[in-house]
Amino acid sequence: MADVKLAFIVQRPPYKSENPKLAITHAIAYQVVEILLEEGETVTPTLCFVGDGVLACIKDQKAMDNYGITSTETHLKNALLVDLNVLVCKEDLERFGISEERIIDAEEMGAEVKIQAVPFAEIQKTMESANHVLFF
Amino acid sequence: MGTLTIGCFSSFIGSMNLDFAFKLASAAADKGHKVNIWFSGNATTVTKKGQKHLKDYSHGETPLRELIEKGVEVCTCEACNLARGIQKPDAVEGVQWNAMQWYLAKIYGSDRVLHIGGE
Amino acid sequence: MKLAVFVSDYRNTVDTLERLDVEDLGIVFVQNGVNHAAVKENGEPSPLLQKKARLYALSEDLQTRGFTEADVDGRVKVIDMGELVDIIFNDYEKLAWL
Repeated sequence: MADVKLAFIVQRPPYKSENPKLAITHAIAYQVVEILLEEGETVTPTLCFVGDGVLACIKDQKAMDNYGITSTETHLKNALLVDLNVLVCKEDLERFGISEERIIDAEEMGAEVKIQAVPFAEIQKTMESANHVLFF
Repeated sequence: MGTLTIGCFSSFIGSMNLDFAFKLASAAADKGHKVNIWFSGNATTVTKKGQKHLKDYSHGETPLRELIEKGVEVCTCEACNLARGIQKPDAVEGVQWNAMQWYLAKIYGSDRVLHIGGE
Repeated sequence: MKLAVFVSDYRNTVDTLERLDVEDLGIVFVQNGVNHAAVKENGEPSPLLQKKARLYALSEDLQTRGFTEADVDGRVKVIDMGELVDIIFNDYEKLAWL
C-alpha cells in the first residue's frame, strides 16, 4: 500500500531521438499499471523537460503532416488529458526565447491540467522527492 | 538482497550500452540480487534470435539467454518490436512481451533503478 | 539526495550534472566516460574531477581503452563490476545515467 514517485527527466529535443516520446508514453502508462500491482499500490510520474528537452513543448507541431508520425505535441496532450504533472524548466525556456504562450496545452480537448513552467530548483525538488529518477 | 531494474532504450549495436547493461545485470544476479531488464525503443532489436556472433559487432543473444537462465526477468516492448518487424516467434525464448506498464510495475518493486536512455 | 550519476561519454558535456545540487554525489565513469579519469587534455585533468563527489571508474572499460590503473587520476577509485553492484545497493539511493 504505497505510492512510488518517479521523476522522468527529458533532456533531448524531439524527433531526432525517440527519448522524449518514450518518456511521455511510459509516463502515461501509470494509468494502467495498477493491473500489475496489488490494491492500493500506485506509481506517480512527474514529467520534467529540461535543457534541449524543453523544445519538445512547443505547440503547433506538424509531424503527422510532414512525416506521417504522431507528434510529440499529441503525446503531450494525451499526457495532460490523463492529468500527468508536467513541468518545463523556466530558465531553459528563457534561454531559447520561448514564451509561455508557445507551450502546448490541451484545454480545447478538455484537459484540466497544464504544463507548468517552473524554475529548475522546482525540478530539482521533484527529483529529490522521487523514489527513482529516469533521464531520457 | 535487493532488486535492480534496468531500463534499456539505446541501440543494440554501436552504443555498447546494452553490453554494459548485460554485464551489470549478470554481476548483480551473481551476487544474489533480483534483476529485471526492460527493452524499449531501439534496444528491442536485441531480442531477435538467430544473431550471428561476428567479432566486429556486439552480440546480445548469448548473454540474454545466459541472463534468463540465471533467473533475470527480461521483457521487451511489444509495439517497439512490431514496429521494427520483429514478431514474437522471432524473439529469443524466455523474453516476455508486454507494454510500458510492465516497466513501471517492476520499478514499483525495485530498490534501485538504472534507466539507460536512448541516444 | 544520495545520487550516483553514470557518465558514459567524454565529449558530450552533461549540463544536467552541472546543475544538480546533490548532497551526496557519486560519479561513476563507465564506457567512454573513463576518459575523464585517465586523460589529461593540454595537461589538465577533466573538470568533472573537481566536483564535490566520490569518483569511480570501471576497470574493464579502462582496460578496454588501453589504460591501466597507473593512468587514472588519484581522486578516482578504480572498481570492477562486482564492486559497482555493491556501490549501487549500499551507497546510493538513486541512479542517473546521463
